[in-house]
Amino acid sequence: MIIGDLSRREFGEKLAGEGLRVQFGPFNLLIRSNLDSFASLAYPLYEPYPVPDETSITDFHVRIASPPHSLRRWIRKQACFALDGHSPFAPYTLAHAFPAFEWGVNWCVATRSHHLLMLHSAVVERNGHAMLFPASPGDGKSTLCTALVHSGWRLLSDEFGLVRPEDGRLLPMPRLIPLKNESIEVIRRFRPEAYIGPSFHGTRKGTVAHVRPPVDSIRRAQETARPRCFVFPRWIANSPLLLNPIAKSRAFLMVATNAFNYEVLDEGAFRLVGAMIAGCDCYSLSYSDLDEAVAALGELSGFASG
Amino acid sequence: MILISTGRSLIWQHWDDVFVVYQPSSAETHVFNETTAWILRSLEQGPQTARRVKEAVELALGIGNGDLGANDFAFAVWRLEELGLLVCREEAVAA
Repeated sequence: MIIGDLSRREFGEKLAGEGLRVQFGPFNLLIRSNLDSFASLAYPLYEPYPVPDETSITDFHVRIASPPHSLRRWIRKQACFALDGHSPFAPYTLAHAFPAFEWGVNWCVATRSHHLLMLHSAVVERNGHAMLFPASPGDGKSTLCTALVHSGWRLLSDEFGLVRPEDGRLLPMPRLIPLKNESIEVIRRFRPEAYIGPSFHGTRKGTVAHVRPPVDSIRRAQETARPRCFVFPRWIANSPLLLNPIAKSRAFLMVATNAFNYEVLDEGAFRLVGAMIAGCDCYSLSYSDLDEAVAALGELSGFASG
Repeated sequence: MILISTGRSLIWQHWDDVFVVYQPSSAETHVFNETTAWILRSLEQGPQTARRVKEAVELALGIGNGDLGANDFAFAVWRLEELGLLVCREEAVAA
């Protein structure tokens, strides 16, 4: 069963009532919300995601709702994100409830999933081989990732490189991709057919809009992938395309320092990152033109898998 | 001067001429050049005099006896001592 098997009305009633169960890759969520505006936004964006069966374990009980017992329920309305009944963040304006919820779910994963090594990285897959894009905010990771998954690559994640310690394989978590500011129009021009939700202006991260991943990526969310290549991207205005190998020692440090829980996992993280770097080709990428970057990475994937 | 390694359970990764080393006792990851790495490696079998260690490092680096600058060697030893990866003892005390 997927969310789309529910009517919009059933979707809203579940959110407002016993909660709506949704599966994002390896995680099952129970979502509650008394905000009809949230339900209206979430329904089309979450439509292809699976609904786990009633017997499966819920990893996160989350809620996005108006604050209880507050004048804010009527004046300059607000929304609070909560995990297990606790609100870790200050309230958001009601108009930003949806991006707040998406950030909140990422926060749940980043702070509660230490059974996995979590790299701060986009991950896409082609021909059975995963390409990882560890990057800092503003480096164009999400934009590049969105372009790739609308060019024949499968999305594993735009934010989390989830590494299974047992075998070093990457677990998909194909959630919505939040594009920021100029990237929204860049992707609208690059792939007009991409499903992009409404823009939220004036959020804590500027203007944000969410891309729904291609349905194939969501359907294959239980299909792990082997890491094959690290690419450290950087969008630079008017830059020519530069795709160059980098030293593995440098790549190791960039991956380790970008990970969400490298320090938490101690020696295990060192060994996992070391094994990944040893088994992967490592490149830096500077680009300004998405078409050029996508073509170059396509060639690289052919080379890497050959 | 006797040099004594305190990092017996270090975990190593090695690419080109760069060594990435995990130190379980502090949960820290270090990046060392060849000189620094070979100082630690030469102490794996037990304490050595600084002179012997320097000679072993020169041999490992493929350079002539005495070609490793005394200041470079002293700096690497000081850095390893600061990280808690070795201790220095006067020979008379160590004996």
